[in-house]
Amino acid sequence: MNTATGIIKALNSGIKHLAIKRFTLRYPEEKLKFVGDGYQFDPSTGVGIAGYKGRHMLFHDHCTGCQLCSIACEGVAEAIAMVKVPEEYKHNKKAIMPQIDYGKCVFCGLCVDACPFYALYMTNDYELSSFSKEGLIYTPAQLQVKPFVSQDSEIKITDRGATHG
Amino acid sequence: MTKELLPGLALQKVDERIMTLNVGPQHPGSGHMRIIVQIDGDFIVACDPDPGYVHRGEEKMAEYRNYITNIPHLERPVIHDSCNVLYPYVLGVEELLGIEVPERAKYIRVIASELNRCVYTMYWLAIYGIFLGHSTMFMWPAGDRELLIDLLEKMTGARVTHAHFVPGGVRNDLPPNFEDVCLRQVNYFEKRIKEYAAIFYDNPILIARTANTGVLSREDAIRLGTTGSVLRASGVDYDLRKKEPYDVYEELDFQTNVLKEGDSYARSKIPWLDMMESCRIIRHALQKMPKSGSVRVKLKPNPKGKGLNSVYKRVESGRGSLGCYIVSDGKPEPYRVKLSVPSFRNLIALPYLLKGEKLGNMPSVYWSLNYWPVEADR
Ligand code: SF4
Ligand code: SF4
Repeated sequence: MNTATGIIKALNSGIKHLAIKRFTLRYPEEKLKFVGDGYQFDPSTGVGIAGYKGRHMLFHDHCTGCQLCSIACEGVAEAIAMVKVPEEYKHNKKAIMPQIDYGKCVFCGLCVDACPFYALYMTNDYELSSFSKEGLIYTPAQLQVKPFVSQDSEIKITDRGATHG
Repeated sequence: MTKELLPGLALQKVDERIMTLNVGPQHPGSGHMRIIVQIDGDFIVACDPDPGYVHRGEEKMAEYRNYITNIPHLERPVIHDSCNVLYPYVLGVEELLGIEVPERAKYIRVIASELNRCVYTMYWLAIYGIFLGHSTMFMWPAGDRELLIDLLEKMTGARVTHAHFVPGGVRNDLPPNFEDVCLRQVNYFEKRIKEYAAIFYDNPILIARTANTGVLSREDAIRLGTTGSVLRASGVDYDLRKKEPYDVYEELDFQTNVLKEGDSYARSKIPWLDMMESCRIIRHALQKMPKSGSVRVKLKPNPKGKGLNSVYKRVESGRGSLGCYIVSDGKPEPYRVKLSVPSFRNLIALPYLLKGEKLGNMPSVYWSLNYWPVEADR
């Protein structure tokens, strides 16, 4: 192939894209949809359930204050601290629950794997930015709240290229 | 010439004609490293790569964490290729602890690591494009990479640093309907990367710029101990997926790509050809994978190695052969973890390749070595 045809071919393959849909996710307006409600773990079989590894969610009525999540995180990021909570639940004798510092967390999900009582899951919420360091520390009460997410964009593949529909 | 200054710390005249020039460590074209080049006019007479700016002590950190909590930080050296970086470690720990991996988990691992190889290569290709001033080649791979990142996100729950492989299998099973989505997006991805031929690989301007620059002969490639795409671009057919198959690679149907030229052009073409093979591997693995079954064997908490024992495992990563040497002394923590990384091996060839080149060819020769600074420094 001589130089001129090569250059024309190259230009042509770029120009074709004027007619093809753009493959761009316009982030704050559009958000990608994930499978499921977040990463969960089933301690009885030892296998997780596929899902996005985002902010955690703590079920107060399951947590026994066993600290296994905190021990698991010690080797990773030391993001989990056990803090005192009001004595509401009988099964939580020491009245302690995990508090997660998202300034340190790397979203590996090993704490979810470690929890034997189905108390700690992960959710699809990843928008955690804050103006202060303290704002990144989520107390057990904050972790209990189920996040509101509206994510509905998916990759669609048509003859005219892929788009985030 | 002032004696007090370390070489390369200042712009200094070595003699009348030769000037020392620092490229990096903050240069956008060098990554987190410095290349000290000595130039005579426009020609490079000597070059001294100076890595080490992002040393994070991964190997030492691994001695204080147990076999499971080592996973999230051992994949940090190359976040775009995190499954492949973790692969030798996981294979090694499995051998140390004597774990049998379920068949389905092996296929999932192969799919994840091939997707990861493509994600890494697309990122590398995007940077290669921008090094050569080809901004379309920066935008396209960076965008098309999204197709595979989306698949990995569905599979593992994270866009980069997946922490998906564990000794004994993978962390979670595939989401429902994954096979169809994967097949559709991988097919489209393959169609897209084939389009790169016209705009980039067959583009006469690119060929004029990169062909016959930084030629590494077959003998030198072997003598310098290069690996991966650099070795295969110099005409040595060596791919660990074929030579020492791990997990289920021997059952899958694929070829290795070898080119004879050994120049920057060939070195940049091999990863692109490899991506097409990866698409074939993924399709074949999806077809052959057992449709159901366990994906992870249950381990006791804090698994221990049996007595004094050591193991060396290696895999073919996006850059070449990546090895992991693990010594256990019967404790829950490994006694020593050593990563033998392809980036560092390929970097060794840089001074030989750049000698006599023009300074303007330096970026293309340097990045065609498939070098990842963070991985070399660990
Ligand atoms: S996800 Fe990982 S880093 Fe974050 S709190 Fe859990 S164990 Fe720690
Ligand atoms: S969240 Fe789970 S692992 Fe953590 S303290 Fe509560 S019960 Fe224990």
